[in-house]
Amino acid sequence: MKLTIDLAWRYLRGRGARSMLTTLAVVLGVMLTFGLNGILPAMVDAFTRNLLSSAGKVDLTVTSTFNQPFKAEVVDRLLTVPQIDSASPGAQGTVPLPRDADAPADALAQLIVVGVDTGTIGELRDFPLAQGRMLVAGDNAAAVLNSDLAQQLALGVGDNLVLPAAGGTVRFRVVGLLSSATLPGSEQVFVTLPAAQQLFGLGARITQIEATLVPGADRSATERAVASALGPDYQVGGLSTESSLLATLEVANFAFNMFGIFALATAGFIIANSFRTVVAERRRDIGMLRAIGTSRRTVMGMFLAESLLQGIIGTALGILAGWGMAASFFTAMAPIYTSVMHFTVGGPKFTTTTWVTSILLGVGVTVVAAILPARAAGRVTPMEAMRPQLGEVYERQVGIRAWIGAGLLVFSLFGLVSGSSSLVGLGAVVFLIGIALVAPAVVNPIAAFASRPLETFFAREGAIARSNLQRNPGRSAVTVTAVMLGLASIVAMITMVTSIFAGFTSYLNKSLSADYLLIPQSIILAQGNVAAGPQLAERVRDVPGIGAVSSLRLAKARVDDGEVQVIGIDPANYLKVAAFDWNAGSSDAAVTQLASGRWVIANGIYASQHNLAIGQALQIDTPNGVRIYHLAGIGNDYLNAKLATLYTSQENLARDFNVTADLLLMANRTANADPAETLTRMQKVLADYPAFRLYESQSWLDEQMATFSQTIVIFDVLVAALALPSLLALVNTLAISVLARTREIGMLRAVGATRRQIRRMVMAESLLLSVIGTAFGAVAGLWLGYALVVAMGAVGWQMPYAFPWTGLLATVVVGIVFGVLAAIGPARSAAKLDVVAALHQE
Amino acid sequence: MTAIVEVSGLTKIYGSGAAQVTALDAVDLSVAEGEFVTVMGPSGCGKSTLLNLLGGLDTPTAGEISIDGHALAELPDDQLTELRRRRIGFVFQFFNLIPVLNATENASLPLRLDGVKDADARAGLWLERVGLADRMLNRPDQLSGGQQQRVAIARALSTEPALVLADEPTGNLDSKSAAEIGELLRQVSTKWGRSVLMVTHDLRIASFAQRLVLMRDGRIIDDLALDGSREAPRTALERSGLL
Repeated sequence: MKLTIDLAWRYLRGRGARSMLTTLAVVLGVMLTFGLNGILPAMVDAFTRNLLSSAGKVDLTVTSTFNQPFKAEVVDRLLTVPQIDSASPGAQGTVPLPRDADAPADALAQLIVVGVDTGTIGELRDFPLAQGRMLVAGDNAAAVLNSDLAQQLALGVGDNLVLPAAGGTVRFRVVGLLSSATLPGSEQVFVTLPAAQQLFGLGARITQIEATLVPGADRSATERAVASALGPDYQVGGLSTESSLLATLEVANFAFNMFGIFALATAGFIIANSFRTVVAERRRDIGMLRAIGTSRRTVMGMFLAESLLQGIIGTALGILAGWGMAASFFTAMAPIYTSVMHFTVGGPKFTTTTWVTSILLGVGVTVVAAILPARAAGRVTPMEAMRPQLGEVYERQVGIRAWIGAGLLVFSLFGLVSGSSSLVGLGAVVFLIGIALVAPAVVNPIAAFASRPLETFFAREGAIARSNLQRNPGRSAVTVTAVMLGLASIVAMITMVTSIFAGFTSYLNKSLSADYLLIPQSIILAQGNVAAGPQLAERVRDVPGIGAVSSLRLAKARVDDGEVQVIGIDPANYLKVAAFDWNAGSSDAAVTQLASGRWVIANGIYASQHNLAIGQALQIDTPNGVRIYHLAGIGNDYLNAKLATLYTSQENLARDFNVTADLLLMANRTANADPAETLTRMQKVLADYPAFRLYESQSWLDEQMATFSQTIVIFDVLVAALALPSLLALVNTLAISVLARTREIGMLRAVGATRRQIRRMVMAESLLLSVIGTAFGAVAGLWLGYALVVAMGAVGWQMPYAFPWTGLLATVVVGIVFGVLAAIGPARSAAKLDVVAALHQE
Repeated sequence: MTAIVEVSGLTKIYGSGAAQVTALDAVDLSVAEGEFVTVMGPSGCGKSTLLNLLGGLDTPTAGEISIDGHALAELPDDQLTELRRRRIGFVFQFFNLIPVLNATENASLPLRLDGVKDADARAGLWLERVGLADRMLNRPDQLSGGQQQRVAIARALSTEPALVLADEPTGNLDSKSAAEIGELLRQVSTKWGRSVLMVTHDLRIASFAQRLVLMRDGRIIDDLALDGSREAPRTALERSGLL
């Protein structure tokens, strides 16, 4: 054993350059898996902690079914449920802000005042302080709020926040500023519970209880237990947004993980390739070892030990590099996240799973990749020792594998057209394997075809380069496959980013076809929203220059123990000012259908969470009892894309939910109306409804797109970060293919090839390989990208598949350019080779 | 004297049908302990095939081989490998040293494969005996051809084998180094008592052996004792019409 490892180590050191290049492949693969898995959990963590800070650690909220204040003793009843870990009473309400006469139309008009129980809230929520202190018991005139909100209100620590109250005004002294970010519509000010109770005139009553579950508790079982402990007067909720956003993040996580796996698969190919060459070159050494009494097993062991050493070194360096990558990612990205997405990210987080997976994959892939070459080495006969060195022995093992590959390709086609997301994904992976198997058989004809134009530029060398490729289709195929894997992952990622962008753009354009939007300031949490009576809509309709007007109304309902928001729309007018982004099988006809009875439209997230089919009956628990509705269609609008939502007619909403107030108004300008004049008139109407904010769609769209473009920049940076290792792998493979042929090149020089010819030959060969690899990679990448988009759709993030023309073109150009760049180094060193030394190269 | 090599009716046929080639045709041969035998003959006469079969590197079509009392045909691959490791030493035309190991490590390789503890010390002793006391830590690329072949001979002897098989050991050497290797192989038999079977084309080197076996078309056509004179092999070859 010691001898085996000793020999392995010596050989590894003995061929320094190549060992380094193959090890680099492992390093890059492990770096990606380890690094990305260090970045993503921290991102998800930051996301859940910061962006969803309104939910805090809260798993469960209890409110009155009739939105009435209730007694604080309910907390004790809630705590009798064994799954409840901790609970904290609170009182919450909205307070209008005094308005200056010259304030702009979109100035902040109201605040949400949240009274927290200082004794218990710490168990549920983080209050990351940027400045000052947190509320303490007895702080009856103190407030804490987010720094960004304070800035908007021109308040600092020590200043007074003046709020209107039942008896005049109340002053709160700002004692602390929080570092968390404020979501638009969720402008919260925290005060102590007694202060809030006094402000809202609640006496000793509260309006909500927030609670956390014991770790591992089953959510729906807990909800049932709570419901039976508290009775029908109370309702249990949680933030449904959280789960769908996390699902999206999980898909992203999966997609990113695929890159790590891809990089490692690429590394596997490079290592297999390298070991194949090494075995071929060492046949005589192996023959001698066999002749002097080394068993087959020991020979195999030697190669496996070599790969093991390489795997260990590569993995160790990869983990180091991955850590560096993650750390520098956070250093570079933190300011962008803080400024663009308003949340702070910490540092990289490496879980035990990440460690274990990275190490197992890194070492495992290396050893597995070496198994076949090692077996081939074990089969070398001692007779090889008697023969002169032949250089690389060329194998022609095409037959069966190519047919298996062709079979896999056909199978993968079925996956593509099946429409099922898991089959499409499986098909994409099968396709890659298929190509890898078919490659040795098709490299020759493709090289013959592709080299025709090449030979016009490289008249003599082109033909030699082509025959170099064709002579050893196995080796060429490995290079092509490595290039393919690298580029496929890039194209797939670009496809996804392009599709996300295209999806949002079309959501925005379709969902906001209205020219004006009147939105209450606190729409996002859909809690304590101020609604308007029908007269606002009428007044807007009467404004000269305004055409169609339609409104949204909102109610909460329960279906099968889950909470869902029900939006009431006006079937006659809705499509004039807004639109649905329909899933397959649904159309605008569904909206008309809403008018004909108890019909609903479900959005994508809700439909996929509950596996809904059109026409299906839904038992909806309304304030007036259980009602049977039927599903008319599945469609999304931008505002509610991430919230489980049902849409029905306003008539149904009035009859079954008692909701008649408008929450959101959409209005169109008539064709010949003057925009500026109409806006002024609209602002005049709105002045009487301070809780509403007027948005001109175009400016709102521009604002949203600007934010989104900034987010996309982050994706682009990620793609670039991921592309680099793939391209390095390409350089690596091509460099190895030149190194492996040192003797051959020496021979060519000996028989009279000029340095220039050698250089051009290596260039031509590399170009040919990268062209073929890039072509395969582009096809495989498009497929994988399509699979990712479909997979996103399956978890509710519907987006149209956008063909990444620009990205594809860029990838192809980059792939080919790198093919040439990759060849520069090897071509130069090949041309500089000392003929005698090259011929004696072992 | 005990026979280290005992061969009877040894036949090796390659290919089949029209392409059939009989490389060895019912060869009988016996090599005594400590005897230095050289095999000569034109290319394709079967001498390398004979050597490969004796070394257990290839299997015969018919006939029996016994090495140091072991019938090769009866040994499974593992035991054959072990026999090669312990009882047979190989010296190749191309030296076949591991490029990344130094002289001592190359010479001790079979011992280390066998798990012998003082492998390097024992290999070092053999390196001294073959005259490489000052080259023990050099790697093959730092040694001349003759020196590399000495390392290979030290490697072959390090396991104290009964038989040393040498396939054109001087084929890649200049005449001075070749003569030194010839002399060294003679010592292997006379001084250290190993049987040596050497295949060569070089008449001068052949004269170091005690016995000359001449082959043609897969058969032994002459088998005679040599007196150490330079002319003896030449005379024998001329008499058999091989020269």
